[in-house]
Amino acid sequence: MAEKLLEIKNLKQHFNVGKPNMVKAVDGISFDIYKGETLGLVGESGCGKSTTGRSIIRLYDATDGQVNYDGVNVHGKKSAKDLKAFNRKMQMIFQDPYASLNPRMTVADIIAEGIDIHGLVKTKKERMERVYELLETVGLNKEHANRYPHEFSGGQRQRIGIARALAVDPEFIIADEPISALDVSIQAQVVNLMKKLQREKGLTYLFIAHDLSMVKYISDRIGVMYFGKLVELAPANELYNNPIHPYTQSLLSAIPLPDPESERTRQRKAYDPAVHQYSDDEQLEMREVSPGHFVYCSEKEFKQYSVK
Amino acid sequence: MEKILEVKDLKVSFQTYGGQVQAVRGVSFDLHKGETLAIVGESGSGKSVTAQTLMKLIPMPPGKITGGQIMFNGEDIVKKTDKAMEKIRGKEMSMIFQDPMTSLNPTMKIGTQIMEGLIKHQKMAKADAKKRAIELLKLVGIPMPERRVNQYPHEFSGGMRQRAMIAIALAADPKLLIADEPTTALDVTIQAQILELMKALQGKLDTSIIFITHDLGVVANVADRVAVMYAGQIVEIGTVDEIFYDPRHPYTWGLLASMPSLENNDHDELAAIPGTPPDLTNPPVGDAFAARNKYALAIDYEEEPPMFQISETHFAKTWLLHPDAPNVEPPEAVQKRIRSLSSNFEKPVLVKEGK
Repeated sequence: MAEKLLEIKNLKQHFNVGKPNMVKAVDGISFDIYKGETLGLVGESGCGKSTTGRSIIRLYDATDGQVNYDGVNVHGKKSAKDLKAFNRKMQMIFQDPYASLNPRMTVADIIAEGIDIHGLVKTKKERMERVYELLETVGLNKEHANRYPHEFSGGQRQRIGIARALAVDPEFIIADEPISALDVSIQAQVVNLMKKLQREKGLTYLFIAHDLSMVKYISDRIGVMYFGKLVELAPANELYNNPIHPYTQSLLSAIPLPDPESERTRQRKAYDPAVHQYSDDEQLEMREVSPGHFVYCSEKEFKQYSVK
Repeated sequence: MEKILEVKDLKVSFQTYGGQVQAVRGVSFDLHKGETLAIVGESGSGKSVTAQTLMKLIPMPPGKITGGQIMFNGEDIVKKTDKAMEKIRGKEMSMIFQDPMTSLNPTMKIGTQIMEGLIKHQKMAKADAKKRAIELLKLVGIPMPERRVNQYPHEFSGGMRQRAMIAIALAADPKLLIADEPTTALDVTIQAQILELMKALQGKLDTSIIFITHDLGVVANVADRVAVMYAGQIVEIGTVDEIFYDPRHPYTWGLLASMPSLENNDHDELAAIPGTPPDLTNPPVGDAFAARNKYALAIDYEEEPPMFQISETHFAKTWLLHPDAPNVEPPEAVQKRIRSLSSNFEKPVLVKEGK
């Protein structure tokens, strides 16, 4: 197996701790991300998938647990210098290309902000050259550099967001629903671009989305989240062909397919957490059912699942 | 089957600083009783404007209906005054909006919002209206309707709010329900529930539905017929099987090919449609899709294609169906779906009138 880039251990992110309205948005999840792979993270809204992404990049300070990047804890104590160096390695692409670009900055300034902060270029000329190069990488023209975000369509804005993330030569990119706000025909353009960049630059992605068919297409492995917990983690094809956790099964059965015949005969499964009938003394944890295929289950269920 | 709606050559434009935007450029279709017509297309293709024009919900000015007819129950909606429209909206036809967060009134109880239409259109007494509101909430599958009826929208989850919206829309037993991306803001599991609910209600009440969406999976699930819109025009219309198993327009091909399929294990590039939709302040000469279309013929840049009829119910607006056009192969992803349908005519027939 490839080298581990990220190791997430028992990550917890709770909000309003100690108050009656405490929310356990992420409640003890563990997984690894390998170098050069795309890990998809899916689940309903409110299941904690975006929070997970944001905790990994330290937009939130984790309540508990560890995120080890190349063996170094992201949430550990760091000097300003270390933090800056770390921030260069990890970048994020946001969901809403309308809200995530500052409307009062030109595209060149948006893209070059990271370059300026990290002092990656020495002269103005070099800076503009780098911006032009990035614009070309994501399929825009250099004439676009001096324009403002409102002059662009949704798909183009998302390309600007990608160019901004690439500006500091990161190794790892967290893409939080990067295509949800885009039209179908444009979604394919952006996904193709992301795959191309991954091939060329050897990037590692954490791809967060609720559109399961697109996630299957782009991901090597997929994690399914439910109420702050990771309930299943498996290679993309394995997860689709052989979903084990009842929640994953229900999620897969709900995806509408562009095929009228299969839609007419669709059998949707509903998920009821009560089916597990867990008793209080049962240990619930991620268990490896078949190689690389993890399910959140009790000891008893594990035996059932392994037989299959 | 009985026709309840007939739209003929509808044209809508908006006056903006940048000039006149021709959002809808000659759309014609009809809708039968109890039928679901899905309208698909990208943002800016004019699908929402078409739907809102049916209820005359577009702001006028800057919007303007510059031509065409909307025959509903034998009367032309285009000519109706605002006053007359008030009698139709919510009673004869009603609408479910995309975003249940912003389309419910946050300061009114859910029950009161459902009762509003009942009291106004059906002259119900308040107590009766409340009883009916509770029935409706039950009908759309909201548990404990007696309690829920007195709650405010913020106490409802997204899926529950959308159910409440449907209850409001159905309050006066409308003949036509227009659903503008009703499930786009919802999760797949909730989406599946809402779609099942809408279908069940349609079976019970025999409502006609116009369903606007850009999700082809949803279309395959709910639609009887499908209209594909591009740049303010319907470029292809047919039954759901005809559109999914025998698409003829290159734009429809592009839409179908750009969706990843779950069975597909190979990791090829997705067939994206290059470029962006045209600017409708100044629509291109000829076929509006030509610039993004790899199958475009020389004539596409000069003359707008006419409608061709492929079967009794299937129409497509592309020069590729012309007898003199070269034979082209649709993209591979589309070829996999194609089946020969027995209802097709021997050869596509040119329809003189744009249909």
